[in-house]
Amino acid sequence: MSDTVKQDYAVIGKSVPKIDGREKVTGAARYTADLKFPNMLYGKILTSPFAHARIISIDTSEAEKIPGVRAVITHKDAPTLKYGISPARWDENIFCIDTVKFVGDKVAAVACIDEQTCYKALAAIKVEYEELPAVLDPLRATEEDQPQIHPEFVRNINAEIHQDFGDVEAAFKEAHYVRTDTFVGNRTYQTPIEPHTATSMWDGEKLTVYSSTQSPHYFQYYIAREFGLPMGDVRVLKTYVGGGFGGKLEPTGLEFGGAILAKITGRPVKMFYDRAEMFAHNRGRHRQYMTITSGVDKDGKILGVHADFVMDGGAYTSLGIATAYYAGAMLTLTYEFDNFRFDMLRVYTNLPACGAQRGHGAPQPRYAFEAHLDNIAKDLGIDPMDIRILNARRPNTTTPNEFLVNSCEMKACLEKAREMSGWDEKKGKLPKGRGIGVATGSFVSGAGYPIYRTDLPHAAAMIKVGEDGTSATLYTGATDIGQGSDTVLCQMAAEAMGYTYEQMKIVAADTETTPHDFGAYASRQTLMSGAAVKQAGEEVKTQMLETAAEMLDFPTVDLDIRSGKVFSPGNESVTLTFEEVARHFFVNRGPLVGKGSYTPPKLGGKFKGAAVGTSPAYSFAAQVSEVEIDEETGEVNVLDVWDVHDCGTVINPALLEAQVHGALFMGLGESIWEEVKFDDKGRIANPNLSEYRIPTAMDMPVVHSALVDSYEPAGPWGVKEVGEGATLPTMGCFRNAIFDAMGVSINSLPLGFEKVWRAMKEQREEGAAE
Amino acid sequence: MFLPDFDYHAPETLAEACDLLRDLGPSAKILAGGTDLLIKMKHGLVTPRAVISLKALDELKTITHVPGRGVVIGARATHNDLVNSPVLHEHFLSVSEAAHKMANNQIRNRGTVGGNLVNAIPSADLPPILIALDAWITLVGSNTSRTVPLHTFFTGPSCCVIDPVDEILTEIVLPDQPTTGSTYLKFGLRRSGALSVTGVAAAVTMDGDTIVDSRICLGAVFPVPVRAHDAEDVLRGKTWSDELLAEAGEAASCCALPITDIRGTAEYRLDLVRVLTKRALKRAITEGHV
Ligand SMILES: Cc1cc2nc3c(=O)[nH]c(=O)nc-3n(C[C@H](O)[C@H](O)[C@H](O)COP(=O)(O)OP(=O)(O)OC[C@H]3O[C@@H](n4cnc5c(N)ncnc54)[C@H](O)[C@@H]3O)c2cc1C
Repeated sequence: MSDTVKQDYAVIGKSVPKIDGREKVTGAARYTADLKFPNMLYGKILTSPFAHARIISIDTSEAEKIPGVRAVITHKDAPTLKYGISPARWDENIFCIDTVKFVGDKVAAVACIDEQTCYKALAAIKVEYEELPAVLDPLRATEEDQPQIHPEFVRNINAEIHQDFGDVEAAFKEAHYVRTDTFVGNRTYQTPIEPHTATSMWDGEKLTVYSSTQSPHYFQYYIAREFGLPMGDVRVLKTYVGGGFGGKLEPTGLEFGGAILAKITGRPVKMFYDRAEMFAHNRGRHRQYMTITSGVDKDGKILGVHADFVMDGGAYTSLGIATAYYAGAMLTLTYEFDNFRFDMLRVYTNLPACGAQRGHGAPQPRYAFEAHLDNIAKDLGIDPMDIRILNARRPNTTTPNEFLVNSCEMKACLEKAREMSGWDEKKGKLPKGRGIGVATGSFVSGAGYPIYRTDLPHAAAMIKVGEDGTSATLYTGATDIGQGSDTVLCQMAAEAMGYTYEQMKIVAADTETTPHDFGAYASRQTLMSGAAVKQAGEEVKTQMLETAAEMLDFPTVDLDIRSGKVFSPGNESVTLTFEEVARHFFVNRGPLVGKGSYTPPKLGGKFKGAAVGTSPAYSFAAQVSEVEIDEETGEVNVLDVWDVHDCGTVINPALLEAQVHGALFMGLGESIWEEVKFDDKGRIANPNLSEYRIPTAMDMPVVHSALVDSYEPAGPWGVKEVGEGATLPTMGCFRNAIFDAMGVSINSLPLGFEKVWRAMKEQREEGAAE
Repeated sequence: MFLPDFDYHAPETLAEACDLLRDLGPSAKILAGGTDLLIKMKHGLVTPRAVISLKALDELKTITHVPGRGVVIGARATHNDLVNSPVLHEHFLSVSEAAHKMANNQIRNRGTVGGNLVNAIPSADLPPILIALDAWITLVGSNTSRTVPLHTFFTGPSCCVIDPVDEILTEIVLPDQPTTGSTYLKFGLRRSGALSVTGVAAAVTMDGDTIVDSRICLGAVFPVPVRAHDAEDVLRGKTWSDELLAEAGEAASCCALPITDIRGTAEYRLDLVRVLTKRALKRAITEGHV
């Protein structure tokens, strides 16, 4: 058992209703695209129809003549400074200058009095291209005869990683059994419900951008950099966001193009992507080609692992350098082994750029590793559950790549999943066509280092108590994109202050009014933003207690506040309301404000790439799923999923469960259906929700979500993440369940019906041939 | 994506609608639920200058049983009208079931049976079951009215025998028949909002365990919905058994000529035809309703 510090909390640990639930359910919530400003223009981007082509000329004269067109811009009107969210590789221009590098690359943009005129204007822009051969096969991208996409990146190598810990070769020599498997992932897209939108406007030299963003801070930083503005002259804020999942972490042509159009026209300009344009902009999951070799002893204890991967990056870097490192780094977490080698090539192709998607680089390698481990277990005659429990990471350990793991209930998660799912009654005993599989996952609770190098704290918060004490407002840069951080952080603020959740208000994710925070990515906000909020709340509480002590003429140390009541434990005659004390404070001392900030401790080793994957704390999860396979059609029916999580102290159980369900929904889609497909010209064949199939409610299995007791010393109140980690086990878990049901190994994602059908057919044909 | 400008008409009578269609000529399009038409217009695939909505013609929305004629379904009946019709539940429950397998609830509330037929895409879900039940349809023009057996209606992907500048599809008739069981099996890639990879409808007339007659219609595996006559021949007059149905399944595959597309390969579809045919037959024989 972990060293659980259980307390009787007043506000946290409860499923309070979401702070914005009412607005969202009634339709009152106004998302970025709902905003209208006086004189607002509409903007659209003209994109490349070719995967790779030289731009010979662009003629905008006809477009400019169309009534209602207010501006037409190309690279000539834009800064030529290259940008990108990975500082290691700035390789993108606002508009293409010499060549276009994928179907969808940005070429020009228009601002018009209405949307319809935009389409007329786009159609009237004449671009002359010289089509070039394109790199469409990532596995061939580095070959000599392939076209060069970025002149400065020889053989289309965007990133090359070689990490070596311990002695893998020696481990393989010593091993009882060594096995190699190869798996291939799929290109998937985040598919947030809300399309990307940005409305930009200038007031003199100051730029304001309302954006559907996961991180106002990174937007502010990169927009300011691109236009040479002081950060103070760029304000980025959001209203409600309908999901991001990694796809809204970096500014796009909507912000960059919109800022230029707004400057030229002197009017607010609203830019947005439609569904097909979202798919083209992408920044979704990389497809990885994964070869894994492991050596185990005769009991199945893992001695060493070698991961040798290639990933298709698409035409630009986006956040892909981090993705590439994450792909290997996170493999060391759920099981203990000392020897690990990781080789990775991230290659450029003339396809849409890939970036960070829920779980970042980790889910596909996790699928590969969990499938690989089941193959080993089968070869050695070990129960897949046993081999995992045998190897499960323990608390207070260090991974070979130098991640410090504090709390870790991996083993307890597996044991609970075993029990809940009835594993022992089912494994090997289910009727033909039915199977059960298990897999694990682990994820960071916030990245140990920010995306660009800076010594800014990772999170900051401020709480201002209302003058009469009947409300308090939390100001935080943390970004609620639907996951519920506004709710959870208000719960935390109220808990720390001794206040009530119902009286909390929040102003969040506005670079001008709220203190700095890096935003919603890497599952960081509950731990990191939460730590800052806790500190701010405690600062309010201290001031409240001092004031109450003054008012009561009572020693501060004997007073406490809880749920808006000041009291003295053991002395019932002493009471004041929060309102009375807060008002007294304001009258005598001015605004009652608490501040907090959070910087993680220095983490990680000294080797190249050591920062990626570091975190103050790691979540752990085990999933078991039971599937039913139609032996004739290959249809995969997921019946039940049991998810057991170690995510530290839970602030809001309902929201936690919602994260597990949501992650599972996405994991299910990526496992069985989702795949962005291309034709032989690099055009997306399914940029729509009809042929890019995400699951529907009808496809969801029964989800049994459970927790194990855990307390994380590095997190406020012992918290850790849950948002992304729950996506990790899913793909491997389903693959293993299909493997159990039919004895066929599906070595590529998605595990689609036809693929399962074909694998069973080949199995039958092999059987017949023998 | 934007709907281009067009003139909008909503005539009050069928005659008026037919006259308008004739007068406006090829630049006009009939609008029912719009779930196919409006998408094509947004993509610029069709660019009508005028749209004639059938929405005021309530007489095209009814589903009734006319003794001696059969069940008459108005062309404007929505998928959910088919799903919820007590008349269909009594006489042709499998049509309600087929309609329920289509699209999603929102689309089922708008999309109509007439639109599904005239749109004429090979993967449409209603044609197979309607053909298996020997449906015929009525096409009304400004001066004409004709009936067409549904199995001769389709001439190719997105093509049918309707005269687009004169005719309106008004009704689908499912004649009274000796059929004892029918069903439609749809194979889509998820449970809702998925177009068919393959669909198979079967209708059987049983005398005890003997298959007196059968009609099998395949969807999404041929340029038009196609009767699997070879499979029907295998069954005629025989006592049913799993082996016989499997044989019919094999025979049905020979009637299909599928393509490979984003939803599946031709090879997969052929095998699905085999599997779905035998399963559909078994259901039609054993389920106990038409
Ligand atoms: C998300 C989605 C999912 C879908 N899923 C399915 C599915 O699972 N299965 C399936 O089969 N289809 C599906 N469809 C397609 C579509 O919904 C159906 O084909 C529907 O039945 C079309 O009917 P409608 O009334 O909307 O036709 P409309 O779009 O109004 O018309 C379609 C065509 O028919 C013509 N037309 C319509 N009515 C008449 C008439 N009475 N006389 C003459 N011409 C007429 C129109 O001019 C037009 O050319 C789906 C569509 C969407 C958008």
